[in-house]
Amino acid sequence: MSISVDRTSLSRRLPGDLAMWFFILAELTVFAILILAFAVTQVLNPELFSQSRAALDSSMGLALTLSLLTSGLFAALAVEQVRAARPGRGALLLVAALATSCVYVVLKLNEYGHLSSMGLGLEHNTFFTLYWILTGFHFLHVLLGMVILGWMAMRCQRGLYTAADCAGLESGVLYWHMVDMVWVLLFPLVYVIN
Amino acid sequence: MSASKVLIGCWLALAVLSTATVLLGNAGSTLLLAGAVLAVALIKAWVITEGFMELRHAPVMWRLLLFGWPLAMACGILFAMMV
Repeated sequence: MSISVDRTSLSRRLPGDLAMWFFILAELTVFAILILAFAVTQVLNPELFSQSRAALDSSMGLALTLSLLTSGLFAALAVEQVRAARPGRGALLLVAALATSCVYVVLKLNEYGHLSSMGLGLEHNTFFTLYWILTGFHFLHVLLGMVILGWMAMRCQRGLYTAADCAGLESGVLYWHMVDMVWVLLFPLVYVIN
Repeated sequence: MSASKVLIGCWLALAVLSTATVLLGNAGSTLLLAGAVLAVALIKAWVITEGFMELRHAPVMWRLLLFGWPLAMACGILFAMMV
């Protein structure tokens, strides 16, 4: 992406490409509709949601959260290394971010498999319909983010990002943080709040 | 403080707050506890936007826009529970 963001002043700078920020806002709008739909439906069916939520393990939700947040940390540290003219370390940190996100994928697939084996699929009830749509949509974003992390790790290893020209790397990592932020709201809504 | 130390500090705060979310959720199911869980989620989202996304160095409009999203979500969820 070539649209660089101008600095409004020496102390105020928006990282990444402006196009990525608009993309993030669009994604957040879609997630907002799904999250509010879940919240409103929960109010209309409190008993059903409370009973259905009991099938979910909040400690699994915590493990999923920690794996995503740790991956986000590695990705953010990778940007710092590239800015410090250490692209090799940056590439390693991006691989670490990718590896940590694999933990999320394995845990989530394990949870999906467990729920499916208990017959708690998409059509079981309203809670699980919204659960599968909401977390499934987020899961697809995680997979896309992993592809981006892998792509950026390869480019970083080849020295294609430099301290002066790393807006593409910043944009990819921003997308990954957006996925983190959405999960931070999904986690209490789906697993915790009764 | 170096940028890397700030990021590690953010991660530590996020890990502690995530654990607090589960503990609050296990403490009961009152509106007050739900509000506390959402407040924790809001703080976590703020740490991500200001720390990981580096919006602390960005123009105010973008900071408000990005923090406005979790704020709107938390208020929406809480409002739905109170109606």
